[in-house]
Amino acid sequence: MILAALLEVPGAWRHGYELAQLAGVKSGTLYPLLIRLEGQGYLEAEWRPPVEAGRPPRHAYRLTAAGIRFAQANPPAPEVAGNPREVTI
Amino acid sequence: MIGGLWRGLAILVCDILKRALPAHLKDWGSAIRLETAGIESAAAALRFAAGGLCGLLPLILAHHMRRMVRSSGRASPSAGMTFHPRAVGIACAIGAVGLGLGYLAMAGAPGRYLGVNAGALVLGLCGLAAIRQAGATVRLRPGTMTLLLSVLLLATAVGGARVDDAARWVNLAGLFIQPSLVLLPLMILDFARSPNRRSTWGMILTAAALALQPDRAMAGMLAVGLAILAMRRPDDGHVSRALAGAIAGFATTLIQPDRLAATPYVERVFQSAFSLHPIAGMLVLAGAALLLVPAMVGGAHDQDNQDIHAVFAALWLVALVAAALGNYPTPIVGYGGSAVIGYVLSLAMLPKAAHARFLGTETLGAGNTTDATEHRLGCVALA
Repeated sequence: MILAALLEVPGAWRHGYELAQLAGVKSGTLYPLLIRLEGQGYLEAEWRPPVEAGRPPRHAYRLTAAGIRFAQANPPAPEVAGNPREVTI
Repeated sequence: MIGGLWRGLAILVCDILKRALPAHLKDWGSAIRLETAGIESAAAALRFAAGGLCGLLPLILAHHMRRMVRSSGRASPSAGMTFHPRAVGIACAIGAVGLGLGYLAMAGAPGRYLGVNAGALVLGLCGLAAIRQAGATVRLRPGTMTLLLSVLLLATAVGGARVDDAARWVNLAGLFIQPSLVLLPLMILDFARSPNRRSTWGMILTAAALALQPDRAMAGMLAVGLAILAMRRPDDGHVSRALAGAIAGFATTLIQPDRLAATPYVERVFQSAFSLHPIAGMLVLAGAALLLVPAMVGGAHDQDNQDIHAVFAALWLVALVAAALGNYPTPIVGYGGSAVIGYVLSLAMLPKAAHARFLGTETLGAGNTTDATEHRLGCVALA
């Protein structure tokens, strides 16, 4: 889901809280994954100047070219409808 | 008011996270702090910060463990491995408090409970630094600290705050602190380091104080800690006399009724955490296990301070077992600042740095190197 959120607008920079909300994940899931993606060269992370004056710069993220290919090759799994145990016999 | 407290706590969590992160990941700590500061809802900010800390905790622990192993591996076997039991203890304390905060948040504990535990960790670390500083500047005769602190415990038993016939607490500006949980581990370990007439009297007075309070868990901690020491030093008269006093004190607590009911998030935490959710139970178990890691690491590598590591492990194991069996505070992972401070302060008695002895090194090395190796092994920094 995080890759999908980053892939939504491939060149756009995203911030941590925004990504967590877009992907519907908690910060405890988000940051370890972002760190791993950056380490593998799939993610660019840099301090971006603030949009509003007087605000501190923010850490922002976007997929690299390799990251975009990786995200396209690994789309989010479709949600399973209902409880899988209900369809087992 | 509560919102401000939560926001302050969220920033504190971020600062702890940033400090704990390895240098190459500090930027991520700053990023989480800035994101947290920008979140409008204070509760959401705290959840975001705490989530970040919990999520990155395995990475932090793995980094510090790797660094420890690397620094050990750099030294040649003949020079002995150097490692840092106190630093391991601090990392474990931070980890255990973090896991405890995770449990408390999952269990829906009031926000101030999380604040108290996190604040106690900061206080404990400040206290640890103060003890280190005092050790370098204040010269007390060995055993004096234990004796003075035992008088404090006795004063708590006589004039402390009472709940259901138990007098274990002192009221500090509206905050009830359990001095025995703060001081006892430190005192027992201090006694283990320098048993003499003065510290033996300190132990006996402590046993009397715990019998008067009465507090089976703490009296048990004292008796078991001293029993472990007596087994390792059977010829030490001071240890035997202190153990006799501790057993008498523990027996006295057993024949007195203990009517204290369990307090949510403080006692019966092991049982309630697993009833809540398996993950909550695992957080509590992992946090409890972390408390014993410094002693396990020390016991495995630090041949010159085996007694200290064995007593340290016994003390905190007794506290955990008492919490699992009776209505006694669950150290660190449950709500309660006293245990957090007590654990961190007790780390002051672990060696700051120690040189490990490799079994068989002497037989592998040349004969004339043994003395030099033994000399180096004696250079264990306990300050």
